[in-house]
Amino acid sequence: MIDRMNSKDFSRRELIQSAAFVPLAALTLSAQQPAEKSALSPEQMKTLVAFIDRLIPHDELGPGAVEAGAQIYIDRVLAGPNANEKASFVQGLEAVDAYAKRVHGAALAELSAEKRDQVLTEMVNEQFFNRARRLTIEGMFSDPYYGGNKNFAGWDLIRYPGPRPAVAAEDQALNVDVKPYRISAYGVKYGH
Amino acid sequence: MAINLKPVDVAVIGLGAAGGVAVLPLARAGLKVAGLEAGTWMDPHRDFHADEVYNNVRRLVSSSPKAQRECPTVRATPSQQARSAGVHPMMNAIGGTSIHYWAQSWRLKPWDFRTRSESIRRYGPNSIPAGSTLEDWPLTYDELEPYYDIIEQEVGVSGKAGNIQGRIDPTGNVFEGPRQREYPMPPLRGAGFTDHMMDAARQLGWKPFRPPAAINSQPYRGRASCVFHGYCSAGGCHVGAKNSTATTTIPEAVRTKNLTIFDKAQVTRIVTDSNGRVTGVNYIRDRKEYFQPAKIVLVAGYTYENSRLLLLSKSKAYPNGLSNNHGQVGRHYFGHWTSGVSALFPYDINVWYGLPAQGATVDEWADDSFDHAGLGFIGGASLHVYTERHPIDAAAMNTYGRAPLFGSAWKKFVHDNAGRVASTYLQTNTFPYETTFLDLDPEVRDPLGDPVCRITAGGVRANEQRALQHAQNKMEEWFRAAGAIEVTKPPANGPGISTHAYGGTRMGDNPETNVVDRWGFSHEAPNLGVLGASVMGSSGARNPTLTLQALAWRTAEHLVKNWKLLAG
Repeated sequence: MIDRMNSKDFSRRELIQSAAFVPLAALTLSAQQPAEKSALSPEQMKTLVAFIDRLIPHDELGPGAVEAGAQIYIDRVLAGPNANEKASFVQGLEAVDAYAKRVHGAALAELSAEKRDQVLTEMVNEQFFNRARRLTIEGMFSDPYYGGNKNFAGWDLIRYPGPRPAVAAEDQALNVDVKPYRISAYGVKYGH
Repeated sequence: MAINLKPVDVAVIGLGAAGGVAVLPLARAGLKVAGLEAGTWMDPHRDFHADEVYNNVRRLVSSSPKAQRECPTVRATPSQQARSAGVHPMMNAIGGTSIHYWAQSWRLKPWDFRTRSESIRRYGPNSIPAGSTLEDWPLTYDELEPYYDIIEQEVGVSGKAGNIQGRIDPTGNVFEGPRQREYPMPPLRGAGFTDHMMDAARQLGWKPFRPPAAINSQPYRGRASCVFHGYCSAGGCHVGAKNSTATTTIPEAVRTKNLTIFDKAQVTRIVTDSNGRVTGVNYIRDRKEYFQPAKIVLVAGYTYENSRLLLLSKSKAYPNGLSNNHGQVGRHYFGHWTSGVSALFPYDINVWYGLPAQGATVDEWADDSFDHAGLGFIGGASLHVYTERHPIDAAAMNTYGRAPLFGSAWKKFVHDNAGRVASTYLQTNTFPYETTFLDLDPEVRDPLGDPVCRITAGGVRANEQRALQHAQNKMEEWFRAAGAIEVTKPPANGPGISTHAYGGTRMGDNPETNVVDRWGFSHEAPNLGVLGASVMGSSGARNPTLTLQALAWRTAEHLVKNWKLLAG
């Protein structure tokens, strides 16, 4: 983004010719393509799943983050548009695991739900907790096109009725239950 | 060497909200216009989606690679090291920021044009905020009114008049200045929640109204009307109901065959001769450098870019930057003071759909609508509640200490409450100050090696802070009257980087304190004009776009009427 450089080292002409003139369209398209490769190793993925399974657990209100596929969203963004935070995110995951081992005697994924809740409680509002929580929320409540919110589990949880092509006045009335429109903005092949 | 192009009458730098309207009167008058735009056409099918990740998380419609490479730096005071602001609220595209903006289309009040003299008259000389460089505008509301009217018609604005030639209509904004006629379209329909808020305001004895917007409430000039799908903020309109210049004035100007658009053209310098006249602009496209000669150059970039381009364009005649022999380029900059107040209701308010311009507005506590005697500030803020709420943002809601941040109890909390939160933005009357300014960062450069713009934010603004606090309390009163059970009043955005950025090339009669004259032309380089909020000397309690568009049209019309004099 910001380049701190000494302009004397470069001729203006060289700069013009070397500057990254990425056309906007190219950038938007690449940012939108689902990442093919995985960002997290199987071990890291196990820790992530153990973590977000307690952030948004399965319960009587329905599926949790893992069933909704929030970990797929997180893995994809760390491999693609958020690649620059992959290292710090992985570091955070490893720190959580190390903490679990040190304080509770086993890796996070090996701990019971109650023990994992305890770990999360102990790190509420820490930087990694906040970032993992934010990305889990993004994964669970984004358009299912991105890999999470499977079967619209996130949108059903908060009673968001989904983007629809046109919204009638009665769909904007106070205190009404709007019938969910369960279609991804990118077509019917996403979301199931 | 730069490739020389065929001369044109007028080169317009930037085809956004300002340049995008100015090209129309120029092209209609038969002038040959080159529109130089760093971005290109956006495609509604490819680029505009009902998708929060696309629009709001990744900001793919509201930021562009070039803008990010030139992101301004910010420091509080001159003794501090400036740091990158992180995100630049500017878009490079044909239509610019008008593609993704909220399209709120406000006129300023007559008071905004004469704030200094009116405040002194009513409250005495000490009412002028200490350290401010506030001047009366060099034109009155009445002089700008015809141009507001033109933009409302040409771009297409929906709304309800509150004052037509002095006749007051309480279903519109009774505090507005007199208008020559009604809006070309009725206001956008209300939602259940905004209607409820209007009722609550009336119970408080206030006069709420539906705000004006450059959004079609009905089909307009062959363009569709709004479908209220809830993805307007930071997104483009896939049905073309948001009246960006890319769908209104620019295509209209193209039809005259007098406007040639040079897209993906990054302007690097404005060139001058030894007499101090502007001769054209240098730009880069596909790694080649071009020189576009022009009889007149109109700078119409974002506020940060306008000052930056002038400061970069040094020459013999202008050793400190173009039109900066009085040292005024970059001065009188200010970022709009705003604050979001949010509220939790004990029932479903159902604001998922709609758009930020579908709202209810109260104007009692803005401008000089109320007596400020003894309050310790001038100005105030407009109060505006609206619809459109996205699922990620909703789930990430404040839990107001009523639930933990994770687990089943959190799940239950967002299940019940994610659809019960209302937000608002308060637009504060903001003024320029001596200690707030723009210049070139001596250390941070873009990939071409050119310094980026540096914002020096300056100190505490007691006037704006008091005005905002007053408005936040009124907003809380309004929310409580409507039944809110929790209200949060976060601190204001400071005068740093802003989506409402003003000044730097202020308009005024005095060349010692202003860069452009009352018509928008440089006090120093006679064939250089500046368009955009960078010419505005105060913000009003409003979003800036309609005003900067009215000013841009007026500058263009002045050029047409005085072509021989200005083009030399």
